[in-house]
Amino acid sequence: MASIRNQIRELRAAQSMTQQDLADQVGVTRQTVIAIEQDKYSPSLETAFKVALALGVSLEQCFQYEPRGKR
Amino acid sequence: MPTLSYREKSLYASLIAEILVYGSYFFLHRQNSINKVAGMIVAIIALQIVLQLIIALVTRNRVTDERDRLIELRGYRAGYLTVCGLMVLGLAMLWFHAEAGNINLENHRVGLHFLSAFFSILVIADITKTAAQIVSYRRAL
Repeated sequence: MASIRNQIRELRAAQSMTQQDLADQVGVTRQTVIAIEQDKYSPSLETAFKVALALGVSLEQCFQYEPRGKR
Repeated sequence: MPTLSYREKSLYASLIAEILVYGSYFFLHRQNSINKVAGMIVAIIALQIVLQLIIALVTRNRVTDERDRLIELRGYRAGYLTVCGLMVLGLAMLWFHAEAGNINLENHRVGLHFLSAFFSILVIADITKTAAQIVSYRRAL
C-alpha cells in the first residue's frame, strides 16, 4: 500500500490562489481540488501535471510518493 | 447546498426521484398490472427530467472531471454486483420452491410475480448504484 502526498495547499496559499481558481485552471471541480489537498484522492498523471503547471512548480515539488505509514 | 458539485446534486435528485416513484409503486400500490409498471417507468423519466433541468438551471459551474467518472464507475460496479447477487438469490429461491412443490409455473399469476420480482431487482440495483456514488462523494472518493 502506498500514498501520494502533496503540497498544493501551501503552494496555492503562497500565490493567494483559491481552490476555485486552481480548479478552473486545471479543469476539475473545486471538490476534486479539496479531495486532492486532503490526500483523499490521487489524481491521474495528466491532472497532476496540470496542477503543477498551474502552480508554476515541478511535479516533484507538488507531489511526493510515500509508502503508507511513513506520514 | 454550496459544497456540492453539479454531479453530486444531480445524484441526490436521482435518489429522491427513485425513492418517490419506486417507493410509491412498491409500497403504496398492489403490483397487479403491466400498465402500472409502464406508468412507473414514465413517472421516473418525467421526474428525472424535471429535477435535472432545475439543477442544471440553478448550477452555474457544471464541470465534471476524472473523479466524477471514477465515482460513476464505482456506482455501476455496485449496481452490477447487486443485480448479480439478487439474480442468483432469486434463482436459488425459485429452484427451492419448485423442488418443494410450492410453486406452479403454469399459473398465469406467477408471470406477474416474476415481472414484479424482476423490476424489484432492477430498482434495488439502481438505488444501490446511486447510493454508492453518493457515499463515494461523501468519503471524497
